Amino acid sequence: MSSTSNAPTGSNRVRIVVATSVMLTFISYWRAAAVILNDLGSSAFYACGIAEQAIGKSAPWFVLAVMLFAFAVRAVYVESCSMFVRGGVYRVVKEALGGTLAKISVSALMFDYILTGPVSAVSAGQYIAGLINDTIAIADAHGWVPAAVHHLFHGTPQVGVNTTAVLFAVAVTLYYWWENTKGIEESSEKALWVMQITTVMVVLLLGWSFFTLLKVGGHLPPFPTLANIHYSQESLGFWKHSSLPHTFAILGLIIGFGHSVLAMSGEESLAQVYRELAHPKLKNLKRTAIVIGIYSFLFTGLVSLLAVMLIPDDVRTKVYSDNLIAGLAMHMIGPEVLRLAFRAFVVVVGFLILSGAVNTAIVGSNGVLNRVSEDGVLADWFRRPHKRYGTTYRIVNLIVGLQLFTIIVSWGNIYTLGEAYAFGVVWSFVFKAISMLVLRYRYKGERLWKVPPNLHLFGIEIPIGLASVGMVLLSTAIVNLFTKSIATVSGLIFSAVFFAIFTFSEKVNRRKHAHAAAQMKEQFQLQLAESVERETVGIRPGNVLVPVRDYNTLNHLRWTLERTDTHEQDVVVMTARISQYGAAAYGLSSEQIFSDYEQTLFTRAVSVAESVGKKISLLVVPARDSWSAIAQTAHNLESSGVVTGLSSKMTTAEQAFALGSAWESIPEPKRQFVLQIVQPDDVVDTFRIGPHTPTMKNEDVVLLHRLWLNITREPGLENVHHHDILTEALTRFAHDYGARDREDIVKELRRHGVDGGPLPVRRIADQIHTVQPGPARSDRDDERRDDGPSSPKVGDSE
Amino acid sequence: MSTSVVLVKILEFMFVAGWVGSAVVLVLTGIEDVGTLLDRKDENSH
Repeated sequence: MSSTSNAPTGSNRVRIVVATSVMLTFISYWRAAAVILNDLGSSAFYACGIAEQAIGKSAPWFVLAVMLFAFAVRAVYVESCSMFVRGGVYRVVKEALGGTLAKISVSALMFDYILTGPVSAVSAGQYIAGLINDTIAIADAHGWVPAAVHHLFHGTPQVGVNTTAVLFAVAVTLYYWWENTKGIEESSEKALWVMQITTVMVVLLLGWSFFTLLKVGGHLPPFPTLANIHYSQESLGFWKHSSLPHTFAILGLIIGFGHSVLAMSGEESLAQVYRELAHPKLKNLKRTAIVIGIYSFLFTGLVSLLAVMLIPDDVRTKVYSDNLIAGLAMHMIGPEVLRLAFRAFVVVVGFLILSGAVNTAIVGSNGVLNRVSEDGVLADWFRRPHKRYGTTYRIVNLIVGLQLFTIIVSWGNIYTLGEAYAFGVVWSFVFKAISMLVLRYRYKGERLWKVPPNLHLFGIEIPIGLASVGMVLLSTAIVNLFTKSIATVSGLIFSAVFFAIFTFSEKVNRRKHAHAAAQMKEQFQLQLAESVERETVGIRPGNVLVPVRDYNTLNHLRWTLERTDTHEQDVVVMTARISQYGAAAYGLSSEQIFSDYEQTLFTRAVSVAESVGKKISLLVVPARDSWSAIAQTAHNLESSGVVTGLSSKMTTAEQAFALGSAWESIPEPKRQFVLQIVQPDDVVDTFRIGPHTPTMKNEDVVLLHRLWLNITREPGLENVHHHDILTEALTRFAHDYGARDREDIVKELRRHGVDGGPLPVRRIADQIHTVQPGPARSDRDDERRDDGPSSPKVGDSE
Repeated sequence: MSTSVVLVKILEFMFVAGWVGSAVVLVLTGIEDVGTLLDRKDENSH
């Protein structure tokens, strides 16, 4: 259990406990649905417009069919998640079809992810440009545009829709590039908030549309027969000069279906959030699937249908094909100003959900490339962390570079982008469905649920449901190869290039990794553990936990070791292996959790321990976010203290607040601990995490004592204690706060916060508002101490 | 019949048969979904 004695007898290797379960804060199915709908729902803004450009006015029927079929695809995902907690495409394909096909499927998935960003950002740009132009046109119609401006633009001033969309898309992509370089905090809270606003819009949109339909009437779009499908020049691709699409009715349906299939892009997110779902997992996954199924059917499916019914054909195809929901908003009955205001609301919601999808694309691609990089099929160079922010910035640069290239090459042509996007979407589904079919026969492990129906003939199971879904997907994907020439060519080139890079890197890395593995075998011994437990790590209660991330900043570890007698108190050095929503589906093996980087990090940590001559224990935990990992690990290991370094992005108070918030989400019973943040100059800030006796100012103690003196002089109150007075005072305070004096109290506390200390005023107000025992941010020690890690005895902080 | 016509016929068969099977999937999972929605036990919507 030390840098030298941690290994079993007879070995000098350091034992490292590698936890294989991610430390997650579990979320409800509503939140999970919100996370998925942020991706899935965004396609409602462009899917039908693209489909109608390809196959004509009957497009909404195909979009509805896709949304209906998405229920069956979801069933495939539920089955895969019931087999693997990390049941994404990569894991399933690798398990069923092996590494080579897994690399091909990941290449297709990368194409999907890379294009999600541009298609979403450009679509948001189209909605904004459309709103600007229509607002100016309405203003001009009312004579509000000055004649000089009119002359200057030779008519009504208008912005170039595609140019504006491109500029906007570039700006949004660059914004999220910077956010991901810094290390964005993913939050289901934010996703839920976006979906709440989107739901308001959807309810208004559907309600108002149906009301309009009742008032002015409307006609259903033509049913999808061969006569009603009007192929555009681009929609037939390599079959442009063939008579086949015009001869075979069902082929026409497949072509139409293939042009609408991007409406269900985002299904993969279902597998990605599964790990984070609260108990009972499978039931909650089904509930999530139902929620997203109904929501996306109503939103994407019905809105597409209503748009074609309410917007006149010539206006819809010429003006609103790229911003169909905006067109729908403008063709409701009601005052023009109200319709314009609602359209602005649609644009705001579109901006929120579509720009969120841009971020999802970067996070997802980053997760996939990190995963393959860890597998040794992408050079380690890509995974080298950013010096300041610790993110895999080179991968982010590569992804964003490809996205910017795509945006500029397409120059805002949403149709081209959407068609190419569908290639990645449909092929990743095909790989998934075929792999699941193969696994019906090859996989012998636990499977909690199966796609129905399944026949049993002569002892052999025939998965009719799974095969049916696979056949629809495969036939659609094959037809798409012929009808989407640009998507086929670009998708194949992209996938082939990525596949070649993966294969080449794998060969180059194999020798290097073999050497590294040999080195690791000499130095470290990995011990796998499903979860983090004190007994597994082999330490005593009341230990000190030292989280580390950057091997260049281990000053706080040295500080801890210099002040800790490791014979009395164990020191655990821990690093969290972060995986985000987009990466959660890509399961990590122990070698991936303890990769090259962790090896270097722990080698340095061991060097520090050796230089001080103290013992340390080493621990790696996979996690969704570092604060939850630290709080949960400290809780599981019964640590009395956590010593960390100063963050490059946060103040010490902010770090304490983040850890305190993570501590709050741990279920009861939980223990308190002390957090010490060591700054580069060895100045230390100390905080107590969890409810505890506050540090009282001297004047407060004096005041309490004076009150006690006065009160005990009252007849019958001679035996009153100081704590009785505090209890009475707090009870009265709580009563006043809950009743008439809340505003005054809050005002007073704010004033106190400004005058009285370094703490942000907002946080004090927050703490009072929740009336919850919060992290010890208000009890920051006034005196900065440098007397070693705090080590209160277990339980004495209660 | 040319190769492309045969291919189209195969694709059409796959698509139609797949849709018929998928419709059964939709019905069966739909019935199960109703049960899941009505079962409020263990529900945690926070």
